[in-house]
Amino acid sequence: MRIASYLLGRSVRGVLTLLTMIAIGFALYFAVERQPPVADYFPTVQKGAPATKQQTDLVRHLFYLDRSKVGMYFTYLGHLAEGDLGHTKAITLDAAQNGHIVDAGPVAPYQALRVTLSILIGGAVLVLLLALPLGAISGTRIGSWTDRAISFGALVLVCTHPMMLGLILKSVGGKVSWLPTSGYCTFLSHNPPSSVALPNGTVLNVPPSYHPCGGPKDWATHLILPWLTFALLFLALYTRMIRASVAETIHEDFVRTARAKGASQMRVVGRHVLPSAGLRVLTMVGMEIGTAIGVCVYIESAFGDGGLGSLAVNTLGGGLGALNLPQVLAVIVLITLIVIVGNLIVDMLYVFLDPRVGLQRGQQRTKSLVGGVF
Amino acid sequence: MPRRPVGPWRSGWRRLRRDRGSLTSLLAVSVIVLVALFGGATATRVFGHNGDTPFLYAANTDQKAVGPWSHVPTPKSPLFDAYGQLQTPPKGTKTTLFVLGSDGPLGRDELIRLLDGLRTSLEVGVGAMLVSLLIALPLGSLAGYFGGAIDAVVSQLTETIMAFPLLLFLLFANRYLISDFRSVGWSWVVPDGAPAEALLIGVFTAFYPTRLIRAELFSLRHAEFVEAAHMVGASNWRILRRHLLPHLAPTLLVWGAIAVGTNILAEVGLSFLGVGVQASVPTLGSLLSTVWGTIFNPQTYNSQVYTPWQTVFPMVAIVVTVVSLNRFSEALRRAMEPRETR
Repeated sequence: MRIASYLLGRSVRGVLTLLTMIAIGFALYFAVERQPPVADYFPTVQKGAPATKQQTDLVRHLFYLDRSKVGMYFTYLGHLAEGDLGHTKAITLDAAQNGHIVDAGPVAPYQALRVTLSILIGGAVLVLLLALPLGAISGTRIGSWTDRAISFGALVLVCTHPMMLGLILKSVGGKVSWLPTSGYCTFLSHNPPSSVALPNGTVLNVPPSYHPCGGPKDWATHLILPWLTFALLFLALYTRMIRASVAETIHEDFVRTARAKGASQMRVVGRHVLPSAGLRVLTMVGMEIGTAIGVCVYIESAFGDGGLGSLAVNTLGGGLGALNLPQVLAVIVLITLIVIVGNLIVDMLYVFLDPRVGLQRGQQRTKSLVGGVF
Repeated sequence: MPRRPVGPWRSGWRRLRRDRGSLTSLLAVSVIVLVALFGGATATRVFGHNGDTPFLYAANTDQKAVGPWSHVPTPKSPLFDAYGQLQTPPKGTKTTLFVLGSDGPLGRDELIRLLDGLRTSLEVGVGAMLVSLLIALPLGSLAGYFGGAIDAVVSQLTETIMAFPLLLFLLFANRYLISDFRSVGWSWVVPDGAPAEALLIGVFTAFYPTRLIRAELFSLRHAEFVEAAHMVGASNWRILRRHLLPHLAPTLLVWGAIAVGTNILAEVGLSFLGVGVQASVPTLGSLLSTVWGTIFNPQTYNSQVYTPWQTVFPMVAIVVTVVSLNRFSEALRRAMEPRETR
């Protein structure tokens, strides 16, 4: 019961965070888009003719400036609950230079979401695969040369910038012939069509030797370098944490008991010492998801994977011209959802690993400062 | 007559002095700060040219930059032949030394640009740290000392902002909110755009020290010495100022050293996003992004022009600076908070 109410509390907090973020998104949009840029849409206005009432109204409508903001917020939430991220709209001109608002298609950043999730999840797995043995090695030999070398190496890596690390790895990986250095491949392979019809009516046969990139193997090879960049960057945090935890636990009574029963060093560390590091690592994973998405922006751009990060950069600040409200909100919603769902999963694992969790309400999760902000 | 007990600062300094690693990091940070402050101006004096002057002979006809330790001819007027091609100057022409080579087709001195960039980056890092401290001190103190509704609002705010990748906020604010402030600067000492960038990074990283201060005050506000101060009738303001804030100093010092490092990295990130200081102003980030290009405008690899040192030197400078700051912060923590082991 206590666990259920704990999880419920965390979910409610997550939903609150999402609502706040959407509100911030609306606020930012309307702080920026106050004047309808009529001239951008009507060549006559651009040439100096005064904008008519009808033209101004049309552009005001396109930029959502003619509606109640609170009402729009709740309408958006309603659509979001149905899984609808909205549609992009545009203005087309007919022969008489009269504008019409047309639908330019739904906002569907799902491919970008797939890319980012692939990098995040694969990278997180790789971090743990590297950090567990490294942390265990240095934690059992505190103060030795191995320990110092591992700690210092990890420190240097965390003091680089993801873009720097990504570009270094890219230039090194470029020397390996089977390692692609850019682009993303889908996990599922698609069979190419046997022929392609061109708009002018001719039909081209696709040669049987042509294979579009796709399938688990292509997916993994294209992601090796992004994963490695991600892992090397976050290695320091986790190695340090596991090291500290191992160093603390290795002198506990139950470890001595295990040794006395004749367990090997491998077994002692693997079965008795490392599991207690799990909780700390989990806390860290939960806190770092937001930072990790920020890191993904650079990783995606270094390796040319069009993910959520690149999309966010383009919609929130880079794209020339005006902001696109549904797109801005979609990016904010998806990123916040990744963070919230990730945190919920972490909370559930917490309950599973440590049944006392509901009792420790006041437990402070303070972010470790090393690793920083990107 | 009993001897006066040693204060926390002095005992911290004693502990720091005893540890060789800590002393090394202190030395490293001091050297970096001194080099950043005076290096650019000194090098300009010594070599007789500054980091903004282009030299025609510092890049060859393919526009490939000259390498480290090159003597670049400086004839009074550049010599072109009938086809507009640059000619080799006659023997005996005066030369000037480019210690780390030149920075690209423009032919500016990489060493002096690097030193100037280090200074600007440190200015941005320290400035941003101070800005976030200015915001965090009142916010964190209010939330941590009074608790209740203020704490709930501040905590929800920090948690929400921290859930979202920071750089997207930075990007947004930089593009839309502070564009007028970007040309503020003070001659070459504080280049144009550096204050704006410090403000930007500072405001958006203020949430970390806020949480830190809040957590620290939360655990201290019911301590005996605070209750004693209440008992003798001290006001809340006095208790905060005289009894609680001094307790925060070591924590904030440790945080400050790291924050300068992370702010420098944030500056590198902003340069890659193409929203840092103007590209002509050297910072550690803009030195790299002029070679690699920005996210929106990536530079394609061109083997004819590519020179490794233009990326290697700034990268080394970034890593060395940030690692030193990290180690220094670690040393400060060992010295100031000896009981806490991590």
